[in-house]
Amino acid sequence: MQKVYILGGSQTDFSRNWTKEGKNFFAMLKEIVDDGLKSVNLSGDDIVALNKENKIAAFVGNFVAEYYCNQSHLGALLTEVNPAFYGVPSARYEAACASGSVALDAAIAKIRTGDYDIVMVVGFEMMKTVGSVICGDYLGRAANYELEAKGVEFPFPKLFGKLADTILEKYKPEKKRFMAALASIANKNYANAKKNPNAQARRWFMSSEQANCRYTETNAKVGGLLALSDCSQITDGAAVVFLASKAYAADFAKKNGLKLKDIPYVKGWGHRVAPMTYAKKVEDAKDSKYVLPWTAKAIEDAYKRAGLTVDDMDFFETHDCFTSSEYAAVSAFGITEPGKEYEAIEAGVTQMTGHKPINPSGGLIGCGHPVGATGVRMMLDLYKQVAAKAGSYQIKGAKNGMMLNIGGSATTNFVFIVGK
Amino acid sequence: MLGIKTVSVIGANGTMGSTVSGLVAAFGDAKVFMICRRTEAAASAADVAANSVKAGAIRSRLIPATYDSLEDCVSRSDWTFETVAEDTSIKADIYKRIDKCLKAGSIISTGTSGFSINKLSENFSQKVKSSFFGTHFFNPPYNLTLCEMIRSEATDKKIFDAMKVYLKEVLYRDVIETTDTPAFLGNRIGFHFLNKALQYAVRYKKEGGIDYMDAILGPFTGRGMTPLATIDFVGLDVHKAIVDNVLANSCDYDHDAFILPEFVSGLIGQGKLGLKTKEGLFKTVTNDDKTNQYLVYDIASAGVRPVRKYNLPFASQMVAHLAVGNYDMAAQSLKEAKSKEALLCKHFLVSYITYSIVTAQAVAESVTDADIAMTTGFNWIGPVALLGALGGYEEVLAMAKEVDFDKNLVDRLESIDDKNKKAIRAPIDFRKSFRAKL
Repeated sequence: MQKVYILGGSQTDFSRNWTKEGKNFFAMLKEIVDDGLKSVNLSGDDIVALNKENKIAAFVGNFVAEYYCNQSHLGALLTEVNPAFYGVPSARYEAACASGSVALDAAIAKIRTGDYDIVMVVGFEMMKTVGSVICGDYLGRAANYELEAKGVEFPFPKLFGKLADTILEKYKPEKKRFMAALASIANKNYANAKKNPNAQARRWFMSSEQANCRYTETNAKVGGLLALSDCSQITDGAAVVFLASKAYAADFAKKNGLKLKDIPYVKGWGHRVAPMTYAKKVEDAKDSKYVLPWTAKAIEDAYKRAGLTVDDMDFFETHDCFTSSEYAAVSAFGITEPGKEYEAIEAGVTQMTGHKPINPSGGLIGCGHPVGATGVRMMLDLYKQVAAKAGSYQIKGAKNGMMLNIGGSATTNFVFIVGK
Repeated sequence: MLGIKTVSVIGANGTMGSTVSGLVAAFGDAKVFMICRRTEAAASAADVAANSVKAGAIRSRLIPATYDSLEDCVSRSDWTFETVAEDTSIKADIYKRIDKCLKAGSIISTGTSGFSINKLSENFSQKVKSSFFGTHFFNPPYNLTLCEMIRSEATDKKIFDAMKVYLKEVLYRDVIETTDTPAFLGNRIGFHFLNKALQYAVRYKKEGGIDYMDAILGPFTGRGMTPLATIDFVGLDVHKAIVDNVLANSCDYDHDAFILPEFVSGLIGQGKLGLKTKEGLFKTVTNDDKTNQYLVYDIASAGVRPVRKYNLPFASQMVAHLAVGNYDMAAQSLKEAKSKEALLCKHFLVSYITYSIVTAQAVAESVTDADIAMTTGFNWIGPVALLGALGGYEEVLAMAKEVDFDKNLVDRLESIDDKNKKAIRAPIDFRKSFRAKL
């Protein structure tokens, strides 16, 4: 099958509050499309020319703009943002917080079949149009709304609090050690964010002490054992990447003074959907060594397709919507055996300076989580690391990286491996 | 990296004292002696400090203290930060005490926004002078990350540069270095704009004065808060202190722009200092039904009236363009607008750009330092970014010719040297600075 190359992309500054700026989603899309086109030296005229041959398409990842922005039909929205997109095939893809990944998946498939030479994948979410309680209710649509979210204030912290409980019940680590490991994840991701010029939390304060200081005025309980420091924030943001066929990428390389062998490409992928309701997940996993077996399966599928193992991975970008989800990912990635995640965390294995760094970007906790954008932002960060364009948060010599993007309470699980 | 593990903050119960203490205890991972006149004030300042960085965990690093233990605290500190009242004799007394007990190799800095660092330096012995300089933070430091650093002639450059690195890399400050001139850079540019807005409010008092000028210079011109509302927020007395200082101690091409309008002195005399006294240029009254009434001081009638909504088509047009991200069209629509209010707006924006470039040339290391100062100290669009947003140097010069009311813009812009003409071509992303709001 065709190799799919990543040519470049961009993201917005995730610390921005677009509602406070008085701007709507048109402004966000215009900005991300403008910046994206600049990043790959494409003009509006180039798009028109490619579209004449029907060789370009656009894919939009977004969770629930219907609620936040009163707008649907988001693929078509690109025609309102830039007339160069008149006639360009486009559509919106959705899988809750993995919307970005399923948009990438469709785009990759279309390059593989040779239908398109180059595709633009945009992920975005504008979440600060409403207050936090309503926002929490909207996010509940990513769960089984009737059973798990309706009438529940902030349902997702509670669901991932349940994941922390499940981990404790299944593996029985010493509770203090487990909670300290979760705090270490939060502290790491805040620290990594300090080096990421687009990270939402780059100016925020966090320390190991504060992350361990749960259920206090400045670190309130949010759900189960989790507190505020264990959570990702509500974020406004967009990310874009351009993917291309080998022929287009070779031409791009020539035009831009690059070597094709240095351009990152998609080496593997995995996509599995677990039972939606959390209680069913727990029942389904009772005989598995993994607390999230379908997450682990998606990762296993990706390694198989790529012909690689955890040993080949130089870094990971994972879905730390809550510290408990990054915790579970440590064994799902194969860094440790299930139940031993705290050992790798304590030993600093997943730190920037460790040999399996997780979330050099700061992750969702540090960089931010504009729901529909996250999968695309992760792909962008994989590209940046492998292309040595991650600047102040570069992992030296990064050759292969893996992303895990999940939707709901680890319901949709999407994995990509990117390398060169 | 400087090993700053113990810090004394003198005047720690003030706004800057408590928030800088929080910053240092948190990001600096340091023990901070918070020195105030009374223990209770010091204790509650420590709570304010912890809350200012949203981290209760740092509370144990904050040690309330009184002036009785000043020598004990300072002699154990790697850095002493003075942030007491802006009063030369109070500072002189404290400096004399610090001079006797500052440990070798440690730093003493002042957060003064008003006094000459060279003059304050005279209070120290020769040895301590070399470790003394200005570190001017902005309020609140958790959000406004600007820190202006100012050397005296006696300051040791090595120590100064080491502190610059500490402020940047440990306390996450955006640091610019300025000469020892009144209001340094940020306040010099910011209060030039603000005081001019006050002066024009008087000039246009018949049209509405204060709220009229705020409507013309709204968030759509690249600021988080309108200018006259900003003065109320800062405090009329603080504003007066700053502009009086600049007026008395400097003389640039727009010196008269720092003359405080008389009516402001009048309000100050009546104790109407702005937000902190719940009345100043503006006043909010809560009705019985819990709704708010927004009132403004009407200069023409010397009384108070409800804030008006001014119908300014040029502003509404700009907002409409900005809301959908059409920054070019917003700039174009401003360029083409010819109403009295549009011309006033253009005058202020060109004046801001001009004054910033001229002042930065004189007091800072580079013209783009003005952008750092205004974005990270005031949450305003930077002047170089604004110049780019309006189409570049030639466009702004053309605009200046249209609105050079005081005959000092075109000349100044034309006399920018080649080095700085190049520097102002730096493409700075201005998009997040324009708010699509009236």
